[in-house]
Amino acid sequence: MSSLDAATDAELVRRCREGDAEAWNALVERFSRYVYAICVKGFRLRAEDAEDVFQDVFTRVYTHLDKLRDDAAVRPWIAQLTRRLCLDSIARGSREQPAPEQDFEETGDDFAEIEEAFAVREAVTTLGEACQEILDRFFAQDQSYRTISAELDLPAGTIASRIARCLRKLREELEGRSEPPGESRE
Amino acid sequence: MVARGSKEWEEAGGIAAQALALQARAAPLAHADAEAWEDALSALRRAGAGGSDDGGARRDHALERKLERAAVVPLEIAALGADAAALAAVAGERCDGAYRADAAAAAALAAGGARAAAHLVEVNLGVREGDERLAQARASEQAAADAADRLLTSIR
Repeated sequence: MSSLDAATDAELVRRCREGDAEAWNALVERFSRYVYAICVKGFRLRAEDAEDVFQDVFTRVYTHLDKLRDDAAVRPWIAQLTRRLCLDSIARGSREQPAPEQDFEETGDDFAEIEEAFAVREAVTTLGEACQEILDRFFAQDQSYRTISAELDLPAGTIASRIARCLRKLREELEGRSEPPGESRE
Repeated sequence: MVARGSKEWEEAGGIAAQALALQARAAPLAHADAEAWEDALSALRRAGAGGSDDGGARRDHALERKLERAAVVPLEIAALGADAAALAAVAGERCDGAYRADAAAAAALAAGGARAAAHLVEVNLGVREGDERLAQARASEQAAADAADRLLTSIR
């Protein structure tokens, strides 16, 4: 884990502005899945269109980062930018190849799910390594209590309780988060 | 239900979340088990009807793979049964007393599922005594039974 993995969004943005190449890589790494999820899950873009939007988003983030008013608001800014570019991509596609009208209103739930999933993912990174590992093994890798117990060398009867405690910490982290950050000029 | 009904228990939400995760794993496994069994049965019938022509070895290999899959799915179900029984046991120990009997019932049902699944592994023609999968299935069956017994004994 690099020191930048633990940096806040605002810290990362500040270092990117200062021309820190490592920070830029970390920023792309942090938001790449998010951008891709909006393209593919939110707007149902084809892989090649999603790739184009992805490139475009990060090019614009790089060239317009100084326009961001609130460094902590980089996530909503990137989300807004991605959505706009997805719509542009769809508009270009429909001009080139008219298709039946798609109902994008129905994707509202998908956006909410994406936001929620990323909020949870971010909150998980604030937990201790032990919690991160046990939650990942149970919820992401679908490992059984016995496997977790054997691999982490923990008593089998304590796994469910440990996971429950970690989930409580996660809930507290999510509930304790402050109100949404401010807007940007972009 | 047991966890959600236990308002005073701080970790009830975490237990309920794990129960939902186990439930989500179980449904596709039940479907896969039926499919794997049908496939294996069809392969067995074809093998029984076939002679000793050139396709015999290929058929044996295909049959072996089908039997293999028919054993793997109940093995996973047995492990899931052990997890469900363990989770029910934790819930039964910590929940509101009004729900303890429900937790015990859940543990007993999970243990029954683990036992049935372990039996399916045991009778699979592709699994022989000494097979690691059989040992795992029996371990899951035993773990589930122990968890359910402990809880049932504690509330009697």
